[in-house]
Amino acid sequence: MDFRPLNDTERRQLIAALRGNADSNQAILMDRRNTSFIGSTDEVTEDEVINAIKSVPCHY
Amino acid sequence: MGLLDSEAGRRRLLTVELPVIEQYNKDRDPEYRIVVQKVGTSLVLKYRLKPAHNVYQVETRLLSSYPTVPPETRVITALLHCPHLLEGQMLCLWRQGSSRITSRWDPSRFTCIFAVQAAWRWLACYEVWHSTGEWPLPEAK
Repeated sequence: MDFRPLNDTERRQLIAALRGNADSNQAILMDRRNTSFIGSTDEVTEDEVINAIKSVPCHY
Repeated sequence: MGLLDSEAGRRRLLTVELPVIEQYNKDRDPEYRIVVQKVGTSLVLKYRLKPAHNVYQVETRLLSSYPTVPPETRVITALLHCPHLLEGQMLCLWRQGSSRITSRWDPSRFTCIFAVQAAWRWLACYEVWHSTGEWPLPEAK
């Protein structure tokens, strides 16, 4: 795979979303069409649930 | 409870897992939808995730003992060796291989889509790690 890296802004936004997810239970939103990252939110509407990644109690 | 060969397993499949997969696939571009295949006594969910610019082919396997035993997820797309990646490109998600007591998988609360979302989050971390060399989340969160 030809890996295309995040630019600085994208990386900062993604790190902030991941940490907000882990530390503050913010949900990460993925695009309903292609699963790409589109932001994070404190409140998830019913329509967004399937595309909202809540804090996952994972090992990593 | 066997997922495919017991009444309780089939009920779980028909009333919980398959409806939530249908909901996930709704409005999804065809190449990003989950495809379900029966492999032996397991169900394998095949799908693509694209947390940033790169597309990853992923498989989540629901073993016969699912949901008591957590799903196993591995990335088919070749990855660099990185933290939290097990043999066979299996993702370290639920302390696989540990006891039920220490497992973070909760079959009463989670569905297979939760595993897909966990894989997305893992891949988002991988994207960051690939650029910075640092995993953006702490251990055992």
